[in-house]
Amino acid sequence: MSSIDTLSLVFLTTGFTVGFGHCIGMCGPIVISMSLNLKTRNTIWPHILYHAGRVTTYTLLGGIMGVTGSFAMVASRIALIQKGVLIFSGVLIIFMGVMMGPWLIKFSCFKNETGIQTFFSRTFGSLVGLKSTLAFFPLGLMLGLLPCGPVYTVLIASARAGMETAGMYQSFMSGMVLMLFFGIGTIPALFFVGRLAGTARFIRGPIIYKLGSFIMMGLGIYFVFKGIRY
Amino acid sequence: MQLFKKTTAILSILFWFFTVYLAVPLFASDSKTGALINCDIQHQPCTRQISGTIVTLDIQPRPVKAMKDLIFEVQIKNADLTRLPMIDLSMPGMKMGRNQVTMKMTAKGVYQGTGIIVRCPSGKTVWQATVNLPGTGSTSFIFDVIY
Repeated sequence: MSSIDTLSLVFLTTGFTVGFGHCIGMCGPIVISMSLNLKTRNTIWPHILYHAGRVTTYTLLGGIMGVTGSFAMVASRIALIQKGVLIFSGVLIIFMGVMMGPWLIKFSCFKNETGIQTFFSRTFGSLVGLKSTLAFFPLGLMLGLLPCGPVYTVLIASARAGMETAGMYQSFMSGMVLMLFFGIGTIPALFFVGRLAGTARFIRGPIIYKLGSFIMMGLGIYFVFKGIRY
Repeated sequence: MQLFKKTTAILSILFWFFTVYLAVPLFASDSKTGALINCDIQHQPCTRQISGTIVTLDIQPRPVKAMKDLIFEVQIKNADLTRLPMIDLSMPGMKMGRNQVTMKMTAKGVYQGTGIIVRCPSGKTVWQATVNLPGTGSTSFIFDVIY
């Protein structure tokens, strides 16, 4: 077994364990928001596509780290994009919360079709409603760029693995493989949380929507705040 | 019908448990981990002992910032190591995966290695460098990092 094979297994396990701790905290709100906003649609494929997109971004970043052999250089170049993605994900969660709950319609003077919810649904419907299931793949691709400590840690290992491998192609592949295995390891935890939210939505609809909407808006504001400070 | 109600109740409890579980770490403050700080690495090297062995850690360049290449230097006194020391970088109370600094001997009892402290989006700045000395033991230096 080569060192890359061994490291791949190590990072698959890391992804799995970190998934049930750190990732649920950072990406859980996004996955739950997504689940609750799926409404009556099939909840498996959007999740699969979202995670496929996220892991694809991790894998490509791993490849880039492997080729360059420098985590610090690549990280400094994508820092601004990551800040933008963090703010965007916060805005996304806020609007998912707004769309999901009955809050605004009650407080709003607009209770008819020209109401504030209609405004939100028109303006952001295409964003958070994601009419096509396939749209979850590019969403995952983008949110794969969210700044995340454990992802950084494995990217450092990918850069090191790239440095220790001879040839550009091998360096690219070794970085990619490590991040691919890590990404796959993180899927079970987030998939579980997403499915749990989806199941809860079906059986306790009104309560889940009301409380979920409130929590999502709070978390979204927190994400935006963190993004601005990042 | 009774079984269905019980199942739905259990699933609802599970859902809210996970929602709270994921929200709590996001809002947790740095005050608890801040109290653990035992090293002023931003201004000077730090020294600790492992059963008579004196271990000094220095990180350059200063100020010690996250997401930058850093040089970690460990000086060992009163011990003859048979294998090279290793540094584990982590955040107290947070699983971040394995981030290790492999070291090379630059002089007798002096070891250096390059590593990176990553930036946690939670905003927490307290980091821990655990110096592992094979056959002797390990000691942790807990310090503040600039983001």
